[in-house]
Amino acid sequence: MNKTVNINLAGIFFHIDEDAYLKLQRYLEAIKRSFTDSQGRSEIIADIEARIAELFNERVQNHKEVIRIKEVDAIIAIMGQPEDYLVDDEIFEDEPEASYQNRTHTPSKKLYRDTDNSYVGGVSSGLGHYFGIDAIWVRLAWIILFSAAGTGILLYILLWILVPEAKTTAEKIMMTGEPVNISNIEKKIKDGLDNVTDTVTDVAKNVSDTVSGAAKSASDAAKNVDFKKQTKKVKSSSSAFFETIGEVFMFFFKIFAKLIGILLIFIGAVTIISLIVSLLSVGVIDIIQVPWMENAEIFNAGNSPLWLISLFTLFAIGIPFFFLFYLGIKILINNSKSIGNIAKFTLLGVWLISVIGLVVIGVREASEHAYDESFTEKYELNITANDTLKVKMVTNDVMDSYRRHHNSFKVANNENGERTIFNSDILVAVRSTTDSLASVHIRKSADGRTYDKAIERAKNINYNYSFNNNILMLDTFLSTSVENKSSDQEVSVILYLPEGAIVSFNNNTKSFLNYHKNRSNIISSKQTNLLLKVIEDNTECLDCPKEETFDVDVDINNETSGLKINEEGVEIKGENLNIKVDENGIKGEGEEVKVNIDSDGVEIKSKDN
Amino acid sequence: MKIENTKAQMRKGVLEFCILSVLKDDDAYVAEILSTLKDAKLLVVEGTIYPLLTRLKNAGLLNYRWEESTSGPPRKYYGLTETGKLFLNELNTTWSELQNAVNIVTSQKTTKK
Repeated sequence: MNKTVNINLAGIFFHIDEDAYLKLQRYLEAIKRSFTDSQGRSEIIADIEARIAELFNERVQNHKEVIRIKEVDAIIAIMGQPEDYLVDDEIFEDEPEASYQNRTHTPSKKLYRDTDNSYVGGVSSGLGHYFGIDAIWVRLAWIILFSAAGTGILLYILLWILVPEAKTTAEKIMMTGEPVNISNIEKKIKDGLDNVTDTVTDVAKNVSDTVSGAAKSASDAAKNVDFKKQTKKVKSSSSAFFETIGEVFMFFFKIFAKLIGILLIFIGAVTIISLIVSLLSVGVIDIIQVPWMENAEIFNAGNSPLWLISLFTLFAIGIPFFFLFYLGIKILINNSKSIGNIAKFTLLGVWLISVIGLVVIGVREASEHAYDESFTEKYELNITANDTLKVKMVTNDVMDSYRRHHNSFKVANNENGERTIFNSDILVAVRSTTDSLASVHIRKSADGRTYDKAIERAKNINYNYSFNNNILMLDTFLSTSVENKSSDQEVSVILYLPEGAIVSFNNNTKSFLNYHKNRSNIISSKQTNLLLKVIEDNTECLDCPKEETFDVDVDINNETSGLKINEEGVEIKGENLNIKVDENGIKGEGEEVKVNIDSDGVEIKSKDN
Repeated sequence: MKIENTKAQMRKGVLEFCILSVLKDDDAYVAEILSTLKDAKLLVVEGTIYPLLTRLKNAGLLNYRWEESTSGPPRKYYGLTETGKLFLNELNTTWSELQNAVNIVTSQKTTKK
């Protein structure tokens, strides 16, 4: 059911559906706007109306029939869109085809500052257009914001700076959300002209002096359609005042912004370039398999491809910096082209994927160390309580060192020509046992993602020792095949020695011994090259020069004996001895004698006297 | 450069001439002029003609009289004024010259090839 309207079109009476009526009205209005009075607007419209009436008449058989929207659409198709009524050259410049073919497209509203209706910067009226409300409400909201919290001012200034001014007619139309087409532009221009003439007449009324000038400018405006300038002339003084302040402020802000822009571009570019150079080189090297990359590969227990890690790192760090760079360019160049939403979202997606990828790799790498398992081998050593055991370290050509290194490894071919990881993470410990025979326990341990993996890696550790003529030769290194990766492989050599056995550690074992003694390790790294007798949970030194040793303590102030050498001189202090050499001379004091050489001369004194 | 624009401009250039030619012998009302032009495919939508007619009338080349219609609103019958007839003659000459010139130019091109 539809409401109908009765209309009189060129003297003929029609029943027309309400929606059809509205459409027809809009259509005629649009046509009206595309003509000026000088072209004979009313006459043209009358002719068009007559023609429409004729066409309706053809379609409606009797007068009881109602004109529906279908008929109106058909008429519009015959008559053409408002643009088609324009016969001047200008219409051909603006692609009329496109504008009437997709007239149904949704008009896109854009935020601009409306400087034609501004008090300060045109922000309020712009926002008003954007939200489709009267600017007065926006202004009231601003006043509340200003008085309630000072941040409103900041926000206003920010919008003033960021929101572009609607300069062209097209922008002014976009601001109100109407589609940009000929009839709208025409309308806008005519509205603008009307405004100018209105204001100019007002001015002329009030200020008689300016009548001639205003009339002149009005005619100029009519000639040039340069209404923008005219509106500026008659703009309220508040707007002009704020505009000047705004311009000064904008000038400084722009310089500041440009500096920030340059800084952002610099930071972004440098970071991205260095990232690309460093990571891509790593990635490329990984792909073409440069030998030294083996080390990195071996360390990478999770087996994630290195180039993938490089790529993820590049994106995860590079993309945020790219946006920084982009922001800098945006700031520096006002109308720089946007990279487009597709590119932006793609980059965001790639960044997210990279970050997730890195997290996954990180978790994988971390889980490689989830299990730290060990595997112990036990061997008996043919030593009885009365034998003297000598312990020595043996190195090889690859390691060539008697130092223990934690978390480092070397890769070389073993004697069979296989790529092997060598690692000097060897710890030697001694414990006492009540058994009659000595034994050596070799505990191999490694990390792995699972228990089985860790045990497997531990079992794959090769560690050798030899025992001959009471001499125990321990390797300074362990070895494992490169397939096992470097995964915290360690070897602990624990010597269980029967109480009463005598042991001597060679000097080269120092690095592999613990510094501190305790129940589970009864030898300290200080005790090398000494004959030690194993007693219950401890050792006894057999050849220590106990009493004979003169302990020299460097801290002379607290001890009865000591040695001090510094910039002042030399001071030696013993139980009954004190020698001091300094800037004043030499001073010596023994049990029986006293020697003093200073500025007073030489003095030698016997204590008895 | 859009082909549609060029076509439309070409058509527009001769439209006034054609309107005058339609009215050369007999007066006609808008629907008649329109049907002639539309049959000749000179016109796609009707709207274009109204400003042209008004312009020609305002320039004194056309005049019109009202006639009652049995099936609709009263019709405007357009006819040529004396100035319009002179104008049309002038245009006719120009058109034949132009046609000739265009023929020469376009055929020359084809023979050359």
